[in-house]
Amino acid sequence: MHAVSLEVTGPTAAPTFASVAEGCLDDVYGYLLYLTRNSAVAEDLTGETFETALRRWRRFDPRRGTPRAWLLAIARSTALDWFRADGRRRKREERAGTAEPRSSVDEAFEGFSPVLEAGLRELTAGEREVVALRVVLDLDGEETARLLKISPTAVSTRLHRALAKLEERMRHDDVA
Amino acid sequence: MTSPEPSPELAALLRASRPAASPELRARVREIAARQAPKTMPLWSRLRLPSRRGVLVVVPAAAALAIASAGVLGLARSDGSGEATRQLDTSYGQLESQGAQKAVPQETSPVYGATDAATPSAATRSGAAPGSLAPTGDRAQRVTATMTVEVEDSDGVADSAQKAIALTQRLGGYVASSSVVTGDDANAVITVRIPAARVQEAVSGLSALGTIVSQQILTQDLQGDLNQLERRERSVRAQIAVVMARLESESLTAAQRAALEARLGSLRTELRTLRRAIAGTSAEARMATIQLAVMTPEGSAVAPVPSRLDRALDEALNVLVWEAVVALAILIVALPFALVALAVWLGNRLYRRREDDRLLTAN
Repeated sequence: MHAVSLEVTGPTAAPTFASVAEGCLDDVYGYLLYLTRNSAVAEDLTGETFETALRRWRRFDPRRGTPRAWLLAIARSTALDWFRADGRRRKREERAGTAEPRSSVDEAFEGFSPVLEAGLRELTAGEREVVALRVVLDLDGEETARLLKISPTAVSTRLHRALAKLEERMRHDDVA
Repeated sequence: MTSPEPSPELAALLRASRPAASPELRARVREIAARQAPKTMPLWSRLRLPSRRGVLVVVPAAAALAIASAGVLGLARSDGSGEATRQLDTSYGQLESQGAQKAVPQETSPVYGATDAATPSAATRSGAAPGSLAPTGDRAQRVTATMTVEVEDSDGVADSAQKAIALTQRLGGYVASSSVVTGDDANAVITVRIPAARVQEAVSGLSALGTIVSQQILTQDLQGDLNQLERRERSVRAQIAVVMARLESESLTAAQRAALEARLGSLRTELRTLRRAIAGTSAEARMATIQLAVMTPEGSAVAPVPSRLDRALDEALNVLVWEAVVALAILIVALPFALVALAVWLGNRLYRRREDDRLLTAN
């Protein structure tokens, strides 16, 4: 389990943006890597996320959630924008006949075991993000539901489906 | 619903391969974080719609402002209203007598002998009638009297009404209209027609039914109108005689005869109208109209002057009612636009969510 330690200047002082960025960087990057399956894209989106977060930092209200949840929400929005732009780009390329096969675009998950990597490739982005948030980043159900703008029940259902797929893949690989 | 948990092996595998940012990315993010956050927010973010917390502050603040303004206006207006009320109280009798005057048909003919006893005087309290009311000489006059008498109680109202009707019949008049209410708000309003020659007698008799609160008698000369009508009648009769004489001559052409006959027809119509007007005016002059109101002391009591606090509260309530009316009108006008905007916003939100779901499923 990963704990985020934030540098503060006093017992009641609000965290600085630098301390929040330092403490949450791995979480934001990990989440975006799970979502996009591409480390280069995840790195770009992470930088973009922190650029956006810096611009909006004055609007951050600690009473409405943790800095990590706030950054992850910005990261999600940034990733969705990227997916939209990527979809439009692919359509243009398809019309022009220059589209590359999808598999060649995606990089492998760096540092993941082959079994886990194969399992994650079978999940949709929606399923990967719920696994990342609930299992890897250890967010609770309520926080995840707020972030994904769905009900906690829907979070549980999606997580159950994703884990079942992963377990099935791992069993299949063990047998093989 | 319990949250699904991964198997220990899978959980360990996932957490062990937790991604970490590269040193290059870390350096880049540190560089971003080292910059100064913008001091001013963009205009669009400053113009954002108020959040729910904002509404929780704005709505009570608006209500408090509305109540405070109503209170201030109520206090300010209660001063003026009090003055107006006092003026109304002191001129109550005058207003009542003016009201009676308005009841008389508006005519340009001169009014003679208007007698006003609206403010009870010693004379009227004692039941004495004002000076001579009978038509002067042989002149045709319209006499209209309005009087209010006060009796002890509800039984007195009914008794006085009966006596007034009996008096009217005894004097050769008739009851034109009557309304008698018994009980707590007992009162009676009776309108009678009395021969003009006996109006003095009628007023005296009616005054004796109780204590006079107000009394007004208007005498309007009708002789001028009557004389004019009679002169016109004589003229028309003379013209008819001339036309008939011409029609009897045999030297007329058919067209001339037709024109004269048409003229004769219109003159005869005018003559009939004049005769009806003369008869009506004469009848008006023959009979006087007396309107008698009988009431108890409770019914005639003037409402107590409200205190400054009561007036201020009344005025504040009026202001609040008007504020509510204005707010309701604005709401009625703005509601369709707000509903359309809400529908567009909800539709856009739903579309975005479905689009997000589609993207997350497709990638």
